[in-house]
Amino acid sequence: MLYQWRSVLEYLPDFLRAMGLTLWITLLAFALALVCGLGAALARNSKNAVLRLGAGAYVEIVRNTPVLLQIFVVFFALPSFGLRMDAVTAGTVAIGVNVGGYLCEVFRAGISSVARAQREAAQVLGLSSRQAFISVIAPQALRNVYPATVNNLIQVLLGTSLLTAIAVPELTGVATVINARTLLFVQVFAIALVLYLVLSNALSFASGLLGRVLFKPPLEQVRPGLWPVRRARTITTTAEVAA
Amino acid sequence: MNLELIWDNLPQLLKAFLVTLELSAVSIAGSTAIGLVVGALRTSRVPVVSQLARAYVEIFRGSPLPITLLFVYFGAALYLGYSVELFVASAVGLSIYHGAYVAEIFRSGIEAVPTGQREAAQTLGLSPMQTFRYVVLPQTRRIVFPPLIGQYISLIKDTSIAFVIGMVELMKAGQAIVDRTAEPVPVYLTIAALYFVICYPLSLWVRRNERKIVPA
Repeated sequence: MLYQWRSVLEYLPDFLRAMGLTLWITLLAFALALVCGLGAALARNSKNAVLRLGAGAYVEIVRNTPVLLQIFVVFFALPSFGLRMDAVTAGTVAIGVNVGGYLCEVFRAGISSVARAQREAAQVLGLSSRQAFISVIAPQALRNVYPATVNNLIQVLLGTSLLTAIAVPELTGVATVINARTLLFVQVFAIALVLYLVLSNALSFASGLLGRVLFKPPLEQVRPGLWPVRRARTITTTAEVAA
Repeated sequence: MNLELIWDNLPQLLKAFLVTLELSAVSIAGSTAIGLVVGALRTSRVPVVSQLARAYVEIFRGSPLPITLLFVYFGAALYLGYSVELFVASAVGLSIYHGAYVAEIFRSGIEAVPTGQREAAQTLGLSPMQTFRYVVLPQTRRIVFPPLIGQYISLIKDTSIAFVIGMVELMKAGQAIVDRTAEPVPVYLTIAALYFVICYPLSLWVRRNERKIVPA
């Protein structure tokens, strides 16, 4: 039994390299998702009907079709329109655009969660609507959407595993290759599972710390991790669960 | 666009779509059963039980679905001595994985029922099982249903990930046509439309019902 683990652990450098790629894709795709989400949320709240309709269509299409299909569309179908990307770029773009659709709804809920009187007060004080958004609405909305946004970051991480379907050498892809070579599936996938758990817990731990520094009063326990933490009973909102 | 291509391959796609629907239905039933049990165990006061349930939830919520599917697929092949049918492996994997998410939904619903309800039921002489079945569970319905349907939508979309272990459902069947004809655009549009037709009405239902319960 032990020698099996040893022969799989020989591949540890490969696993770690794949883990690095997974993290890198996750962060890039999440950055793209934040941009798409914010843009779409602003567009959906704008007065321009075309923008509203376009953003609405984007959100509904992206949220009601599988991510895997979106990855394939970017990788296999966009080249017919002259947009050719390598697998890593295509996967990053597809996942970023996908999660952007979910973040749009999160951000919209966050913006509308800020009391209307705040907006009116800002107007009375003579702030332009852009100033009001940046210095009055956004800071309060950010606090409300932070936990759901972190959940979406984890969804990005889990989504990168699908890039194995377009042969990106990320964690799942590398694990399937090593499995095919060694046939020790328990060991191989157990290592991959643990590495994913390390990544997801590290990401939520880091965003928990960030939430403490960023907000006053500090946000507590953004997303429960694997190890038991004594915490006040949190109410899971439907928005949070859906994310 | 090549409409003829869609027309020629439509029967094949629709047959695969049926497989997707069957897989979704079976996995929805499985994940709901697992989620209900695990969610209830998570609220239990017996220490080890609730922690085990919690570990289950956190492990599957912190790892991607393909890993679960690969585990189930290869694991069944090794321990059952023969290759399990792909449909079964996919359904089991999807149920186990989404069961963890469903468990969280049920837990939040169960915890939202005031303790007084439970105490009153106990006073009336109901057993713990009866209390859960007749007092607690019915009251969770309004809280649980919208996010539960939301989870089912993710599950339906996630059946496409059974692609990873070679299950021939809508996504895989479509990809086979793309590989054969080298015409990705019409095929992907058709697949997208088929998923959309199922998921969009459910999404609308979720949105309509979600708002009612948010202010407590």
